[in-house]
Amino acid sequence: MSVLAVTRREWIGRRNVLLLSLGMGLLQFIGLHLNPDPAQAFDKTSFLAVATGTMYAWAVAALYGATMLSRDLEERRFGFLLNQPLHEAQIFLGKVLAGVGLAFLSGLLACLPPLLLSGFWRQLGMREVGSIMGVWLAGSLVLLLLFHALSIQVRSRSLWLALDLAAWALFFLGVRLLSLRLMAVDGFREMAHLWLGLLIAVSLGLAVAGYLQVSEGRADLQRGHRWVSLTMASTLVLVLLGGWAQVVWTLKHRPAPVQTQARTHRIR
Amino acid sequence: MTSNAEMNPVDCHQLGVRYGRMVALEEVTFTVAPGQVYALLGRNGSGKTSLVRCLLGHQKPCSGHIELFEQDVWASRRSLMHRVGVVSEEPDAPPTMTTRQVLQFCAGLYPSWDALGVEARLQRFRVPQELPFGKLSRGQKAQVSLALALGPRPSLLVLDDPTLGLDAVARREVYDELLGELAERGTTVFITTHDLAGIEGLADRVGILHQGRLLVDASLEDLKARYRKIGWAPPQALRLEDLAPYGPLGFRMGSLGGETVLQGDPAPLLAARPEVQIQDLSLEELFVTLVGADTEVAS
Repeated sequence: MSVLAVTRREWIGRRNVLLLSLGMGLLQFIGLHLNPDPAQAFDKTSFLAVATGTMYAWAVAALYGATMLSRDLEERRFGFLLNQPLHEAQIFLGKVLAGVGLAFLSGLLACLPPLLLSGFWRQLGMREVGSIMGVWLAGSLVLLLLFHALSIQVRSRSLWLALDLAAWALFFLGVRLLSLRLMAVDGFREMAHLWLGLLIAVSLGLAVAGYLQVSEGRADLQRGHRWVSLTMASTLVLVLLGGWAQVVWTLKHRPAPVQTQARTHRIR
Repeated sequence: MTSNAEMNPVDCHQLGVRYGRMVALEEVTFTVAPGQVYALLGRNGSGKTSLVRCLLGHQKPCSGHIELFEQDVWASRRSLMHRVGVVSEEPDAPPTMTTRQVLQFCAGLYPSWDALGVEARLQRFRVPQELPFGKLSRGQKAQVSLALALGPRPSLLVLDDPTLGLDAVARREVYDELLGELAERGTTVFITTHDLAGIEGLADRVGILHQGRLLVDASLEDLKARYRKIGWAPPQALRLEDLAPYGPLGFRMGSLGGETVLQGDPAPLLAARPEVQIQDLSLEELFVTLVGADTEVAS
């Protein structure tokens, strides 16, 4: 219940975002009506509505993540929550839940009016609708956590930012090298698996970093940043090492390309 | 095992806080006994805010620790907050929530929430409950903050400069409310303030923070017994050298006379010099003398 109380508090403070989303959806709805050739416009608009909704949901998640704690800390309002008998996990979870919910609903409101009018939603099965919503929710969660960590790193203005930059640079460089190695043997499927694995692992690291920022940093932005930096740097290095191990294993156990197999056979 | 009534609501031990090379607090040690009103005074930048943040478990000290009711506040913040009411320096309730929504939010978190008392308090001060908190006047925000802090029937009330920026009437209302609470429930109060005149009638014990160190930690009675203000006329009747044995602080001379605060017993001086008279020493004068004089004072 306490988690939901925090979520409700966040929603009350940001309900204008939902109104804005609804306005956006209605604008698209009106645009569809004004089109001289509605039959042709429906398909385009439907696709555009889904794309707009997705982008909008993710933009809301990123903006929310960038402000969900750092704004409270800057305006010295975080104390209000810390002065209540709330566990740090309840505060963090309540805020994350509010952000993901807000992003999801914003996206839905932004694309629902044109979709209802065009009947596009009737062409989609439950599986497609579920996939779209899953992508929205997962994307929103990852962006929210990422932008939360970034906002803490930037706003604390401490020297730990150097470690953050070094860790992210090392990570992207490592991912590029690993991807190149897989591409050299046409391992595009393995590369997709690698990226997905890295994304999931980094997202988990971001979630842990976000929680530690609240529980160990509390109202102290610099201390919170230190925890985010240490968690993220160690996560990125570990994840990269894991990725490297996966690539090595894949290259070792991957069936050789057909030409190589043929050559090997002739020699024998 | 110590009973609840005997536990010290606040036990601050060798507290130290640093920001890089800057020392904000150094070896601060004090205790607040049950039912006591402890006033922590200090100039801007003396370390009061850092101390309050540590006291509420918002910030981890670099050294030392603070215990509330014999529990480390950093480790047990959540459970301790059931027993602590807080009024922050800046009213920090969400500005877009109405007062009613803020009350609902807090009421749901405390099993012992005094809904009737909070309602009565807000009605007494005619606080409109349907208006967003951010749109209330400063005085109304202070009253809402105090009502929220008293809502869970706390054993300890922490007030961080609650009268900052309030006019005289609003200030009086806050103190009256506080007096009522003290008389009714005997709640322990830890208050930091710049309003020395306002707190003088309330405080049992006073701590003075100066440049991160606790310069004074004593009961108000002890302080007034230890430091005595004297005045004399004409001004040339006494010189600074004459007062040396009494440890004068803040020696001041005007065209009509002079005055100073003495650390020692002035009885011999009063007997020898009929032109010297004991004067009332207010908390504000004592604070200005001690902190303004930048003097090392044994607590």
